[in-house]
Amino acid sequence: MMMRIKFPRTLLATAAVLLGVGLFCGSARAEQPETVCIQCHGSLPDRLGAPVKLWRTSVHAENGISCNACHGGDPKDAADAMNRSRGFLGAPKEADIPAFCGRCHPGVLKDYLASAHGRALGKGGPTCVTCHTNHAVQRASLTIINEKTCSRCHSFERARVIRDAMQQTEGSIVSIDRRIKTYQSQGVDTERLGKSLFAVRNRFHSLFHEVSVTKVQGESAQINGELAKLDRDLKVIEETRAKRKVVGGIVVAGALILAILFHLLKKTYDEK
Amino acid sequence: MALIKRLYNWLDLRIGAKEIVEQELTGYLLPKNINEWYSLGSVLLVIFTLQVVTGLLLLVYYVPDAEKAFKSVTYIMNELPYGWLIRLCHAVGSNMMVAVLIMHMLSTLFMKSYKSPRELNWLTGFMLFTLVQGISLTGYLLPWSQLSFWATTVATNSAAAIPVVGPYLVEFLRGSKLVGPATLGRFFALHVGVIPAVIAGLIGAHLFCLKRTGISTPPFGANTETGTHWSPEHYRYESHPGGIPFFPNYALQDLTSISVYFAVFLAVVFFAPNLLFTPDAFVPANAFQTPAHIKPEWYFLANYQTLKIFPSELLGLSVQAAAMTFLALLPFIDRSPERNPFKRPLFLACFFGGFLLWVGLSVWGHYS
Repeated sequence: MMMRIKFPRTLLATAAVLLGVGLFCGSARAEQPETVCIQCHGSLPDRLGAPVKLWRTSVHAENGISCNACHGGDPKDAADAMNRSRGFLGAPKEADIPAFCGRCHPGVLKDYLASAHGRALGKGGPTCVTCHTNHAVQRASLTIINEKTCSRCHSFERARVIRDAMQQTEGSIVSIDRRIKTYQSQGVDTERLGKSLFAVRNRFHSLFHEVSVTKVQGESAQINGELAKLDRDLKVIEETRAKRKVVGGIVVAGALILAILFHLLKKTYDEK
Repeated sequence: MALIKRLYNWLDLRIGAKEIVEQELTGYLLPKNINEWYSLGSVLLVIFTLQVVTGLLLLVYYVPDAEKAFKSVTYIMNELPYGWLIRLCHAVGSNMMVAVLIMHMLSTLFMKSYKSPRELNWLTGFMLFTLVQGISLTGYLLPWSQLSFWATTVATNSAAAIPVVGPYLVEFLRGSKLVGPATLGRFFALHVGVIPAVIAGLIGAHLFCLKRTGISTPPFGANTETGTHWSPEHYRYESHPGGIPFFPNYALQDLTSISVYFAVFLAVVFFAPNLLFTPDAFVPANAFQTPAHIKPEWYFLANYQTLKIFPSELLGLSVQAAAMTFLALLPFIDRSPERNPFKRPLFLACFFGGFLLWVGLSVWGHYS
C-alpha cells in the first residue's frame, strides 16, 4: 500500500547532495589533444590524407611523436600551421632525408653515413625511407633485412649472412623486451632494465647499417653477454613473484581453515 | 587463564566490565532466524579498519605532489619492504569495500530491513555508500598514473553537462581548467582527511541507529512475523526474547564471514592483483597522451554506460539522479508493512529487474 508522502525539503536537498559522487563518475568523453595537422589532413582524401592513416600505425604515433616533430610548424594554430615563420619545414628533398631524420636519431645517422648505403647518398643509394618507409615507420628490427626490400637494389646474399648472424641476438632482445613490458604492466619498476635494454638495442641496431660480417659477429657476441645479465635480473623478479604466490597460497588456505573452524565452533553453540 | 580472570575481576570492580559484557555481548539477543547476510556489516567494519591502517602506512612514503606522486608509489611497490603488499591491500580493499557494501545494501533491500522505524539506518547507510564511492574516486587519482589522470579527467568532465553552473563546477572540482597539481592536492585532502572523518562519523551514526532500533527480524522461516507493526506514536526497541546471544553464537558467524572475506581478498591480492589494474595504471600521467580506452572502475561502469545511451549527458545525469533519489528515499516511498519479498511480487520483480539492469549496463559499459 502506498501512502501519501510528505518529504521535508532538507531531506530532499541532502539526498540530492549525496547523489553527486555517484553521478559525475563516468562521462563517455575524454579530452583528446589532437594536433591541427591531424584534424585537417585526417579528413582529407588521397595523397593529402594518406600520411595520417599510415602515421597512425607507426612507432612514432605509438610514442606520441606527431607530424610537427618532423615537419615543424605550429600544431595548435590551423591558420599558421604550415607557415615557414612558425618553423614549418615541409617534406625534405631526397638527399636531405638522412639529415632530416637524423635530427632525432643522430647515432643512426652517423652509422648510416659511415655505411655503404650512406656513402652512396646522392648517387642513387638508399635513404632512410627506402627501407623504413616515410610515415608508417615501424620499430627497427631484423625483419627490415629481407629479400624483397634488399633485392630492389642489390643481391640479398651478403645481407642474408649478416641477418643470420644477428638473428639470435634479435630473438633475445624481443623476448627480454616482452618480459620487461609484461612486468611493467604489472607494476614492477622496470625503468633500469628498460634503459639497459634500450642501450643494448641501440648498440645492436647500429650494426644494422654495418656490412662487415666479422664485425657483426664480434659485436653480437658482446651484446649477447649484456642480454644474459638482463635475463638474470628478470629471473630474480620471476623467483620473487613465485615465492609471493607460495606465501599467498598458505595465507589463503589459513583463512579458509579458520572459516571452517569458526563455522564448526558456531554449530556446537547453536546445538546447545 | 588465572591472570586473565584476575585482570577481568580487577576491571569489573572499577568499570563494571561484567555488566557491559552481559548487556552488549552474552545478553545481547538476536533473532533466532538471523542469517549470514547480517554479518556483512561486521565484515565492512573490518575492511574500513584495514583501509585506514594500510592508508596510514602508505602516507608515510606517499608524496602528494604531481612531480613525485608516481615515483613515490613506484618506490612503495618496488623498493619498500612489504610496500607492495600494503599498497595492493589498500587498492584491492577499496574495491572489495564497494563490493561488500553493495551486497550489504542488496540484502537489506531484499529483507526490507529499511522499513519503519529504520529509515535513518537506511539513509546513513546510503550516505556511506555514496561516500565510499567518493573516497574510491578521490583515491584513484593519487598514484598520478595515466589511468588515474584520465579517469579523473573523464569523471570530472561529466559535471560540465549541468546547465549554467557546469563549467564552473568542473573548474571547482579540478582546481584549474584541466586536471593538474591543484586537483591532486584537493583529492588528496578529501581522500585522507575529509571523507574518512565523515565516513567514521556516519558509521557511528549507523551503529547508533542500529543499537537504538534493535536488529530487524529476517522476514523468512516458519512462524515468522513478516509485517512491521511499529507505531509512530512512541519509541520502541525491537528486542528478541529467547533469541540467540551475540556472543559467542553470532560473533562466531561474524568471524566465519570475516575469514571467508579474507580468503577471497588475499586470493586477489596474491594471485590476481592485476584484475583491477590496466597497464595504464603503471605509466606516469601524461596530459598530452590520451590512452586508447579509458574506462571507469567497475562500480561506475553502469553510470558510464547510462551517459552513453542517452543523446545528451544532461538527460543521462537526470535519469541517474532520479534513480538515486528514489533509492535514497525508498523507506519513505515504500510504506507497506509487509516485509516478506515473496509476498510482494511487484517488489521482487523490481528488485531483480533493477539488479539485472545494473549488471547488464555494467557489462555493456565494459565491452562498449
